Amino acid sequence: MAGLVERLKGRLESYRVPGYYRQFEHHWAMVIDLDKCNGCGACVVACRAENNLPVVGEKECDMSRAMNWLRIERYVEGEYPNVKVKFIPVMCQHCDKAPCETGCPVFATYHNQDGLNVQVYNRCVGTYTCAVYCPYDVRRFNWFSNKTDKPLDQQLNPDVSVREMGIMEKCTFCIQRIRVAKDTAKDEKRGVKDGEVTPACVQSCPANAMAFGDLNDRGSAVAKLARSKRQYRLLGDLNTAPSVIYLKRVMESAVAHEKHEEGFGGVGFR
Amino acid sequence: MAESVMGFFPYVNDLRKAASKLKAMNYGEITVFSPVPINHEIDEVIGEGHNYLKYFTFFGGVLGLMLGTLFALGTAALYVLPRGGRAIFPVTPTLIVSYEATILCGVFATLIGFLLLTRLPSFRKKTYDVKVNVDRFGLLVHAGGARIETVEELLKEFGADEVKRVEE
Amino acid sequence: MREDITYKEVNDDVVRTMTQTGKGYYALMVLMALGVFLCWGVPWAYQIYVGQGVTGLNHPDFWGIYLANFVFWIGISHSGTLLSAILFITKTPWRRSIYRSAEAMTFFSVLTAAIFVFVHMGRPWNFYWTMPYPTQREIWTSFQSPLMFDVLAISTYMTSSMIFLYFGSIPDLAAVRDRVTGWRKDFYGALALGWRGTDSEWRWLMRAYTFFAVLIIPLAVSVHSIVSWDFALSKVPALNKTIFAPYFVVGAIYSGTAGIVILMAILRKAIKMEKYITSRHFDKLGMLLLACSLLWTYINVLEVYTGIYANTSYEIESLIYRMITTPYSYLYWFMILTNSVLPLLYIFKRWRVSIWVTVAVSVGITMGMWIERYLIVATSLPRKFLPYMWHDYAPSLVEILMTIGSFMFFILLFLLFIKLWPSVSIYEVKEDLGIPGGKEH
Repeated sequence: MAGLVERLKGRLESYRVPGYYRQFEHHWAMVIDLDKCNGCGACVVACRAENNLPVVGEKECDMSRAMNWLRIERYVEGEYPNVKVKFIPVMCQHCDKAPCETGCPVFATYHNQDGLNVQVYNRCVGTYTCAVYCPYDVRRFNWFSNKTDKPLDQQLNPDVSVREMGIMEKCTFCIQRIRVAKDTAKDEKRGVKDGEVTPACVQSCPANAMAFGDLNDRGSAVAKLARSKRQYRLLGDLNTAPSVIYLKRVMESAVAHEKHEEGFGGVGFR
Repeated sequence: MAESVMGFFPYVNDLRKAASKLKAMNYGEITVFSPVPINHEIDEVIGEGHNYLKYFTFFGGVLGLMLGTLFALGTAALYVLPRGGRAIFPVTPTLIVSYEATILCGVFATLIGFLLLTRLPSFRKKTYDVKVNVDRFGLLVHAGGARIETVEELLKEFGADEVKRVEE
Repeated sequence: MREDITYKEVNDDVVRTMTQTGKGYYALMVLMALGVFLCWGVPWAYQIYVGQGVTGLNHPDFWGIYLANFVFWIGISHSGTLLSAILFITKTPWRRSIYRSAEAMTFFSVLTAAIFVFVHMGRPWNFYWTMPYPTQREIWTSFQSPLMFDVLAISTYMTSSMIFLYFGSIPDLAAVRDRVTGWRKDFYGALALGWRGTDSEWRWLMRAYTFFAVLIIPLAVSVHSIVSWDFALSKVPALNKTIFAPYFVVGAIYSGTAGIVILMAILRKAIKMEKYITSRHFDKLGMLLLACSLLWTYINVLEVYTGIYANTSYEIESLIYRMITTPYSYLYWFMILTNSVLPLLYIFKRWRVSIWVTVAVSVGITMGMWIERYLIVATSLPRKFLPYMWHDYAPSLVEILMTIGSFMFFILLFLLFIKLWPSVSIYEVKEDLGIPGGKEH
């Protein structure tokens, strides 16, 4: 009995409020530089390949049921010939104060100790509360059981499950890759090095617009980029404390951007 | 096997007078049957009795309050999973869950209290006549022995339109 | 003491409704049962087999007509609580002949609403994961979630209203038990628990009934507030408002009372209760509806006025989508017509006592309240924060059939109720007629 109380007390202390998430081992975050993003969509394709996302078909996409965990939002301003198109890749923001986590009645979504907002596929009953509560509309639902025809099923990633119908899913920051990196680091009795974990979208971006890493590590690339003067959070005034940090687009071309960024002395994206 | 007398009255004021006379003469236990609740008419004669039901409701409510708080806080303590940056022991959900559980247990306790206090459902055969659930008010006197005729006379005198003896 | 109806007549009339059945009743029953099978059973089975994709839901419109129906039926259920509990506490005499059917309406509409919870789930075969029962599954339900408040509140409300209905009918079941024969006698004998009508039994019944009424009134208010918090605890601009709890409760009482008016009008002709349900009842119910209508209009005006004044772009977008964009603007202004304008007819007594006018306006109110629930769900989710994800919602055939099926299910349950339970409270009607020889009060 005394052991139980001690264990409970220990666990509760590890989740002290407020700001308990700052005491976690890692705080995975992503930085996206909108000056460098050109909307090519390679990240979207890589995410689909890595996470076994099904193709839902044209009719379903028409109804806005496209199964893209990561989407490139396109906003067009002005009339021809002075058209400005702005791109912003939006995926699950892994908010530290996620509204979606509070809505689930069965504990299918919660915040884990790495600062990630995780979705437990086996537990999901499909009440849609998390999706309604998400202000970024990043959650995707499996409306049907999507079968992958042969021989395309050979392309499926064995590290990631295939979800059946009635389950909510979303971007996981490629938790399977994080898991592999953490296990390797544990085997070699060291911490996870900066740059060891790259989600599929970060890996595939041709413009090097995305960076991923541990915010708790002050020297990592994301921590340095997050201190940029251009940084902002999407819908930051909603007080959701997202872990995805965007760097505002200020310049028309990449050359002008480099000059503007002199103060950082060429922070490497890898 | 005591014999009892039951009189059927079409008017409540007659019954009330008969009952007060019988109580004054101390002729035994009186039970009043009626198709409608007439407690405010005859309580001055029969007596109200202490309201034991409120203890049932109160303790049911307290039990519900404790259960509800245990549910909400106990679940949060057992599964320490942070959600939404909220406190592990949240105030609002605990209040709401305890409130619902209070009312649920209060309702059940009142129901159980009612069943216990009225001794329903009854499995023994008890005195009953279908007229009392239609339009007659019945007065059952648990008198025995020689007083039966006196009671019968009294009931007829006060306006009972039918008097009969019943085995108790 | 009213001289035109005797106590014996009341017993005769009510028992007759339960023992005599015409052909029309059976025909209607068969029709409703068929309708429930075709409009509920078949589409639901299809949906479970194929998936939630047969609905019109999409990203971002994850809640649609099913949730609107759910809120609508919970709203209708508040009628019984209002009539039997609140008007009992205030000792209102005209509630006596209609409250039994209103209580039954409460119970059946909560049942119908509970079914919609299972219908809208993605994996309904796992629904029991949301119930807090002792399990070895090593994970329980999360009481922080508004949906868990819902589970507790609705199950509490369902059991409480069932107990309330049953328990207040015990003397009437005894009266029925005395008059019937055969299997019915055993059935009602068991249900009546051996009620004899002694003074102590009546005393405990009235005391317990008072306690039940006092307990069930705050329960009803809390149930609909909790249902509103499913929406209000989100960050969706059109839903995240503090007025939602009072708004839903007022709307519930409003639509519930309108439902009672329609039901009473049908019932008095169908089971020949014209003696007991008179134009006086419609007069009083009309006044209640007028009060609710003014309150509802007030809250709606508040919502629109504060939304426009505060000028938050997200909320303005939802308001424009609801009030100006077709087709929702048609629905919105029709709703304003039926819910705010037409009930003003109830100001004049001449139209309150006319049963036709009362029923027509009530039908309009019921339609308007359903539209209001639908608009809350269908015009808020398509206009969330990021304009790239804005997309319209339109219900599919499966969803529309299930909506129609729910009405048929409710009518089917009510038809069963009329035959199997005393639908007018015998002892309360007798009390209303007066006690022979009793003190005049």
